[in-house]
Amino acid sequence: MDELELLKKDWKNQEEGLPKLSYNEIYKMILKKSSSMVKWIFIISVLEFILWSSIDVIVRLSGHYDELEVHGLEGFSIFTTILYYSILVYFMVQFYLNYRNIQTTDSAAVLMKNILNTRKTVKRYVWINIGFLALTTLVVVMYTAFYTDVYASKSTDQEVPAYLIIITSLIVVAIFLGLLALLYRLIYGILTRKLKKNYEELQKLEV
Amino acid sequence: MNKELEHSFVTNLEQNQNIVHKVCRIYTNDADSHNDLFQEITIQLWKAYPKFRGDSKFSTWMYRVSLNTAITLYRKSKRSIKTTDFDTMDFKIKAEEYDDEVEQQLKLMYAAVKQLNDIEKALVFLYLEDKSYKEIAETMGISEVNARVKMNRVKTKLKKILNP
Repeated sequence: MDELELLKKDWKNQEEGLPKLSYNEIYKMILKKSSSMVKWIFIISVLEFILWSSIDVIVRLSGHYDELEVHGLEGFSIFTTILYYSILVYFMVQFYLNYRNIQTTDSAAVLMKNILNTRKTVKRYVWINIGFLALTTLVVVMYTAFYTDVYASKSTDQEVPAYLIIITSLIVVAIFLGLLALLYRLIYGILTRKLKKNYEELQKLEV
Repeated sequence: MNKELEHSFVTNLEQNQNIVHKVCRIYTNDADSHNDLFQEITIQLWKAYPKFRGDSKFSTWMYRVSLNTAITLYRKSKRSIKTTDFDTMDFKIKAEEYDDEVEQQLKLMYAAVKQLNDIEKALVFLYLEDKSYKEIAETMGISEVNARVKMNRVKTKLKKILNP
């Protein structure tokens, strides 16, 4: 006889051994807070939005934008600001729409897909930010190096060649971005590993 | 209104709590995790309850939310699994109903089910609950053919675990 059939026959008997919760015990449970993965993804995503938009504010307050204007980059600065906030708004809307789509009443596959989509949106946002940061830094460093004499005057002051300053600043930016990317991989790797594995398992077509 | 909703939900769940307990049995190995998962499933059921229209049976609707919570939403607490807990939470097999050989076989079967992955456990659970392949496919979000093929794979896997 098929083992699973045997198990099925016994399965009904299992009900007698199950715990029995009272009305009040169940009632107390609905008052408690969820600690589901979706909630964590939501919290971390919101933190990311706050982090990245505050970086812009901090840079502004620290006066770096004024410096750009002095060096004739005000057009570039206005352009990046508009782009930066359009990206932020776009992704926040996308994130909200995706998040609203997560329903436990969907089938397992649809639910998993929606959670992964929500996660992907924020991931894309983070990568675009990292790319954005790298690109603007590059543009500003290059511009400053080739069209102004800031580095040149600095290098004569401190007796360091200009190209060394440029290379050093680029390396510093690269290391910073690398560390950031690593941190994200770690956080989300831990959070979505099980989900990804299950989703792949479910989608896998058996042969 | 809210009180009414609370009352109807708790009453419904109290009557159908076996479904949730059975899901917890399959997915957890000790009493603490069982209670943890039960708690999370209850919250998720309650959150989804306003959207429950009564066009399907409450119990049918519960399968989806319970399994989704166990497979997808629930984050296992970091407690290490102690083997003693595993024993105490083991499925009860009533000795008087079976001869020794069958009893032994059942014990091994339950232990084998515990070794399956999350998706396979869900398939076995729905199968044991006497759900049709159509219902299994709908709950999991895969095609009926795929559900059948996957189920056969699970059967083969169980056989392999039992007769290595």
